[in-house]
Amino acid sequence: MGRRFKIALAGNPNCGKTTIFNALTGARQHVGNYPGVTVESKSGTFFVDGNEIELLDLPGVYSLSSSSPEEEVAFRELTRSGVDMILNVIDSSIPRRSLYLTTQLAELHIPMLLVFNMSDDARKRGLKFDTEKLERYFGSPIARTVGRTSDGIVELRSKIAKLLENLDGHGVPMLTYGADVDESIAAVAEKIDSLGIKKYSHIPSRFFAIKLLERDSCAMRIPELSPAIPEAESQIKHLSDIHAIDADSFMADRRYAMLSGACRDSISMTHEKRREISDKIDSVMTNKLLGLPIFLAIIYATFWFTFTCAQPFMDWIEEGFAWLSDFVKGAWPAESLPYLKTLVTDGVIGGVGGVLVFLPNILFLFLAIAVLEDSGYMSRAAFVMDGVMRKVGLQGRSFVPLILGFGCNVPAIMATRCIESEKDRKATIMILPLMSCSARLPIYALIIPAFFAAKYQAMMMWVMYLIGVVVALAAARILKGTIFKGDGEVYLMELPPYRLPTLKSLLLHMWDRSKLYLHKAGTIILATSIILFLANTLPEKASFSKDYSALISEVEKSEPDKEKAEERIAALENEKNAEILEYTVSGRVGKFLEPVFKPIGFDWKLTTASIGSLAAKEVFVSQLGILYAEGEADEESVPLRQKLAENYTPLQGFCIMLFCLMSVPCFATLAVIKRELNSWKWMLAEAAGLFFLAYSLTFLAYQVGSLLNIGV
Amino acid sequence: MKNSKQTEVKLADAGKERLLSDLPVGTIATIRKVLPNSRGGKKFADVGLVPGTKLMVEGKAPFGGLLRVKIMETSIAIHRDDAKSIVVGKEK
Repeated sequence: MGRRFKIALAGNPNCGKTTIFNALTGARQHVGNYPGVTVESKSGTFFVDGNEIELLDLPGVYSLSSSSPEEEVAFRELTRSGVDMILNVIDSSIPRRSLYLTTQLAELHIPMLLVFNMSDDARKRGLKFDTEKLERYFGSPIARTVGRTSDGIVELRSKIAKLLENLDGHGVPMLTYGADVDESIAAVAEKIDSLGIKKYSHIPSRFFAIKLLERDSCAMRIPELSPAIPEAESQIKHLSDIHAIDADSFMADRRYAMLSGACRDSISMTHEKRREISDKIDSVMTNKLLGLPIFLAIIYATFWFTFTCAQPFMDWIEEGFAWLSDFVKGAWPAESLPYLKTLVTDGVIGGVGGVLVFLPNILFLFLAIAVLEDSGYMSRAAFVMDGVMRKVGLQGRSFVPLILGFGCNVPAIMATRCIESEKDRKATIMILPLMSCSARLPIYALIIPAFFAAKYQAMMMWVMYLIGVVVALAAARILKGTIFKGDGEVYLMELPPYRLPTLKSLLLHMWDRSKLYLHKAGTIILATSIILFLANTLPEKASFSKDYSALISEVEKSEPDKEKAEERIAALENEKNAEILEYTVSGRVGKFLEPVFKPIGFDWKLTTASIGSLAAKEVFVSQLGILYAEGEADEESVPLRQKLAENYTPLQGFCIMLFCLMSVPCFATLAVIKRELNSWKWMLAEAAGLFFLAYSLTFLAYQVGSLLNIGV
Repeated sequence: MKNSKQTEVKLADAGKERLLSDLPVGTIATIRKVLPNSRGGKKFADVGLVPGTKLMVEGKAPFGGLLRVKIMETSIAIHRDDAKSIVVGKEK
């Protein structure tokens, strides 16, 4: 009969923890969030010898010192009872750095298995390990793996099974910090023991004593431990009086000293060969002069890949949905439930299809991003851009999410998690919706050719993106100068060695993110498509100002010229449609709000379209199409463009784009802002702020333009 | 921590203490102390920026702010302002 165990997977960032996780659990994963913090929680299950094992993937940390949300999560999860074993993944090509965390994990006195990952890299670097000595030193068995190729995973599983058989007999030692410090640790531990805390009885009091001596914020916050703090403080004073060292770092110093000793005996380097290739690449990629041009070229290539290479796939999807819609229309039994028929074909298929068309864009963008991330270039991009971003008060790490924002704001906002400084992160999230996402593209694609001569079209498109970026950076500057005024957190970022990404991890990464987009199409877009469809159809008008059918039949009879007859009939039908529309919920809401939007050059039709665009920006186009009674409109519809050109001025056209660019983002973006900032208040403030920003800038553009007779 | 295998190309002025932020690219130096007034003492320690560690300034980012420092076989980006609280020199 199998038993259940819980194993925690711990390790540094970039140690290959995720590949080990994937290799062990396969597809049986669950990804979520730790409550209250924006740290991803991941767990999966696998079986060894019939025992079911829950594997908890802790965030990558260098230490258990609770100086970042990730470290706090790791601390909390590891001190919680029920962890049967720790799987400590170590980048064995940099053993001294990686084992630093191990010294702290050992203090938890939980059975531990050391996974010496990237052992191929270690071999290439000429590192030789005396495994037996290291196993004795840490009291833990060692498994060697190459996560990327899944080498050594079978042995890892058998070692896990072996350790699980004899959990109580583990030999994780109490590492010594030297006689003087150990004395202080013992004094604090004794004090903690005297408190008799049941909640943490599974963790040695020594662990907490060390944490209190380090003034670890997580440990200090545990209420049960607070009576021991005065003792810890007096010991800190005692130690700093003797050794004159900073309390923050003396434990760290001692740990490095311990490790240094352990490594000297058991790790040797046969031939000195450092990460030369990676260093050589870096001397070009992060070069003071070449770094920025190379970065810009890479970003350009990413865009080219995303937009140009994805185009054929987008065409296929578009055709596919058109075919599906026609098929349903044709197959639908005539005369039965006509409303449901149009709801399904125009509302559901049209609405969801209109969003799924962008799926290739999203997939390609995320594939490109995954290549940049997995190869290690992303942190170089942050390094190279840092100087520029600081000029607007942000930092290098804000740049990648902002670039992602051109694709879709939702994953971009999630990508801000890599920004450690909370204030920088908030400021980045707040300005992100100003990055013109791909859903705004159809709006420009519809409006620009309608109002601007061919030679200015590309420039106008570029101008729209540029306006977004400039306004975003200005907003960042204002935000960082006021409400998010610098908290001056220390900026440290590892630049991991370049690695060739594996196809498997690229696809996993791409899929993880694109899933969200598909989810959005299946839920929010589907629902709003239906709601908008209903709002555009109901209530149905029964009596009209003119008897259209009589007028039409009269035209049919009296007009001899067939072409002219059709033209007149079409005009009458349009008039009728307009009357029907004004009578619907959309029409009424639009009419009601028209006075508010008039000063920015919007009539009621544009007003309803911009309300619809809350669901998804591209709804603006389809809504205008419906309102101008052109049936299924998309950005390619020439008649719709003609109608727009007849009804609006180029200035109004510009105002439409300006407003759509900056105004309240789609619901999906708002939802992710709410989740990532963990606050309704910030989300609402963001929506209101962007609305006022868009309104006032569009107002300015329209009024100044009208006054100076530009584009009217 | 000693890293005796690393070849010493250049050393910061022997015996003299300097700040990490002032070192030119290519310099190899040993950390003497981390000034206690900095808020990042513990974070520095976690990535190995503790007294006794050898480091090398690998490069500087465009427009100034960041330094690329190799420490314990890893490249770390650190801001010049933070590097000001790290005193380096030749180890005695």
